[in-house]
Amino acid sequence: MRLFQKTNFNFIRHRKIAYAISFILLISGMVSLFVRGLNYGIDFKGGSEVVIRFDKPVDVGSVRSIMMQAGVNGSVKQYGLDRSLLLKTDFQGDTSQLKTLITNALSSRLPANPSRILSVQAVGPSIAADMKLSAIKALAAALVGILLYVSIRFEFKFAAAGVAAIFHDVLTVLGMFSLLGGLFDFMPLEVDQSIIAAFLTIAGYSITDTVVVYDRIRERLRGQKPSDYERIFNESMNQTISRTIITSGTTMISVLILFFFAGPAIRSFAFAMFAGILVGTYSSIFVAAPIVFDWQSRSKNPIKLRGA
Amino acid sequence: MKNNSFKLILIAVVALVSVWSLWPTWRDYALTKQLKSYHSKEDSLKFSIDHRAEIEQVHEKSLKLGLDLRGGMHLVMEVDILDLIDQKAWNKDANYYRIMANVRNATRNSSTNTVELLASEFGKENIRLSRYFYDMRDSDQDIVSRLKKEEQDALMRAREIIRNRIDQYGVAEPVIQTQGSQRLIIELSGVTDEARVRKLLMGTAKLEFRLVKEPQVLLRAIERVSSVPLQAPLQAQATPAPADSAMAAASGTATSPTPAAVPAIPPALPAPSAVVTKKLSDVIGMLPNGQVFTPAYARDAVTAVLKRQDVAALLPQDTQLLLSAKPEQTASGEKYYLIYLVQKTPELTGGVITEAKATFSAQDAQPEVLMSMNDEGTSKWARITGANIGKQIAIVLDGAIYSAPVVQSRIPSGNSVINGIGSLDEAKDLEIILKAGALPAPVKILEERTVGPSLGSDYIRAGMLSMIWGFTTVAIFMIIYYNKAGIAADLALVLNILVVISVLAGFSAALTLPGIAGIVLTMGMAVDANVLIYERVREELAEGKSLRMAIDAGYNKAFSSILDSHVTTLAAAFLLYVYGVGPIQGFAVTLMIGTGASLFTAIVVTRVLFDLFIGSSFMNEKSFG
Repeated sequence: MRLFQKTNFNFIRHRKIAYAISFILLISGMVSLFVRGLNYGIDFKGGSEVVIRFDKPVDVGSVRSIMMQAGVNGSVKQYGLDRSLLLKTDFQGDTSQLKTLITNALSSRLPANPSRILSVQAVGPSIAADMKLSAIKALAAALVGILLYVSIRFEFKFAAAGVAAIFHDVLTVLGMFSLLGGLFDFMPLEVDQSIIAAFLTIAGYSITDTVVVYDRIRERLRGQKPSDYERIFNESMNQTISRTIITSGTTMISVLILFFFAGPAIRSFAFAMFAGILVGTYSSIFVAAPIVFDWQSRSKNPIKLRGA
Repeated sequence: MKNNSFKLILIAVVALVSVWSLWPTWRDYALTKQLKSYHSKEDSLKFSIDHRAEIEQVHEKSLKLGLDLRGGMHLVMEVDILDLIDQKAWNKDANYYRIMANVRNATRNSSTNTVELLASEFGKENIRLSRYFYDMRDSDQDIVSRLKKEEQDALMRAREIIRNRIDQYGVAEPVIQTQGSQRLIIELSGVTDEARVRKLLMGTAKLEFRLVKEPQVLLRAIERVSSVPLQAPLQAQATPAPADSAMAAASGTATSPTPAAVPAIPPALPAPSAVVTKKLSDVIGMLPNGQVFTPAYARDAVTAVLKRQDVAALLPQDTQLLLSAKPEQTASGEKYYLIYLVQKTPELTGGVITEAKATFSAQDAQPEVLMSMNDEGTSKWARITGANIGKQIAIVLDGAIYSAPVVQSRIPSGNSVINGIGSLDEAKDLEIILKAGALPAPVKILEERTVGPSLGSDYIRAGMLSMIWGFTTVAIFMIIYYNKAGIAADLALVLNILVVISVLAGFSAALTLPGIAGIVLTMGMAVDANVLIYERVREELAEGKSLRMAIDAGYNKAFSSILDSHVTTLAAAFLLYVYGVGPIQGFAVTLMIGTGASLFTAIVVTRVLFDLFIGSSFMNEKSFG
């Protein structure tokens, strides 16, 4: 079977359209980040999360009001498992106190529908601040590392454009989290540790597709005149588009499987990965290589490529 | 072909080692299943005795499940280094308290080392550390390095003591690690009574024997403090600060009375609003026998007031007002706590305790803890009791008075007893804590994650389901898209997954839910290398090259991209491992192993397969789809 055989898109000619799309994506994400902000999970905000399972189906609203009356301030939502609810609260005292508070309130108000606490997670604010710092450090280190590696393997322009594409991917996904955060009960889209894991994986993976395109450009560019660059860039991208899409495709299959089967704890992560791979594939064709092209056509130095 | 047979042997070795490393996991699973299949207890007991050696052996070497899958408790605790430093300080004055309060504030908002924060805060005020710490002649640098040493020792000691306590409580395979300069990470699987474990871990068990002052001294002291308002004056509020952001503040071990007395509603909630504007005298009363008491509802408020420095300053030199740990009851059922005036300097501390035993007392069958002391403690105890016959000596645990017996005679044996304990469980925990020794400084819980076993098994089911679906879908896709070459990629994928799981089992790394997600993700990424190669081969074939040459060229020319993409993914996963915590590290680990292994499986394994079949009728130009 073959898809995308003998394509002949003029990517370079239409790059301005792609730039405009990316620009809109990024700007709307940024605006949302400033206006709506991000929904942080307890990892980065501190607080407590309790998963409660009931023996029979239960109305979220009634549990919400019971919790309110019991003095537990927070949100109650469906958790993606059967008859389970997720209670979120800023409560940062003793978790056993919180547990007794919840179980007492539920057993006295809903005696016909017994419930159990499945899990309790509580994170203090000081550790949440530390985790945030670690996450930023990890992301920064990843970007610098990739910049260095690609510079060594290709050339600085290629590396910088690749890292710009990663920025583009991560920021777009972050913008999506800000825009869509809290809209869906089945995936909270909160930024927590697992989302940072997704960002790092996206950063590592986004460059994969980019490198495939770069590799081909490098192979074809050797000994060519700058006037032929546009044609070579276009041909290289057309020649690699099939593998770019298939490699992303197989990974997207596994991410979709995770989204549907791995349960609520993984769902936001899978969403982030899916969006990231999608945007990453787009950006390696429409952002990274065109930036290199634009940069190159404006610079006086010819491309000095390293590597095989 | 010599090169090829080497590769074949290599592949066989990798496959065999993987299977060998997973064998205990399989046996463990089979044995557990068999054990569960017995209906009567005798049968299963007999089976487990017969196969004891094997059960233990395979269990030790089998693939471990993470806390999120198995159910258990993950805790991050912090040793209060500032408290430790405070213990070392002398000559404390108002300046000292003010600066220490600043330091405490600073530690809350910064992750810098506490000792360094301390040095910089004192430095800002141009006060030399030697004014309060160690010797006058020491330089600040010396003191900082000595305090850091103390800090490090304290963390190690805390880890050992907590390990002792957990071992004695009985949790299988606990994980206790230090993190940074003042944190401990504790992982306990299969814990059912989290509240009890939490108490056990946090119990400082600071045991002290202190002299109780005579009733008339107590009365005079009470008169002097009775007009103190219950609400702290504004400038003093910074000093006590038990309302610390940390989650632990509320649950000192023994200060909370008894499990039975902890009501369903947190005791602190109703009281404050009622007492907040009153004076201390409104909530203390006197019994006909001269004892002073406070009703149960005001206990927390009174405790807080008595801890305040402005209140402590009103008391006679070297004395302190403390409450009893357990409430007394009036005839009408109202609960109240007694207040004692005790000497601040303890006569003897818990360090001399060598043995502790929880039992029931002979007289009234109440739980109590018997203790015996070392030689030094025994002789001191004999001298103290001998010198104070007829007086009361309070047994103080973590700042609450458990009992204050009147000394009847000199005690030469070095035995003593703590009574006034709520339940046998509590007495047993106290026994554990006393035996394991006191923590060098209080600890608080910064992070707590508890997963019940039922949620864990849900996660396992979800994880297995996604692994099966992930593999099936990717495998079928590869065959549809790449025909026979797809089969080779799938075989490589099987080996890849086998390697990931066996490396986890072999290095006793736990499999977590994010870890499973990492495996599923690896499935999608591992075949990427094959996609790159196969696309290249197709291209070369389209240019009219022979199958053998096309395969050669495909592998050679795709290698550069494959290497680059693997290196970047590995780097990202590595950073995630370094900076992430807990379950996320499990994801990073599986991703690293999977990506690394796919360099071998996707390139070497498929290549060998092609080389083996290239001459046969099984492979032709159509084999790449």
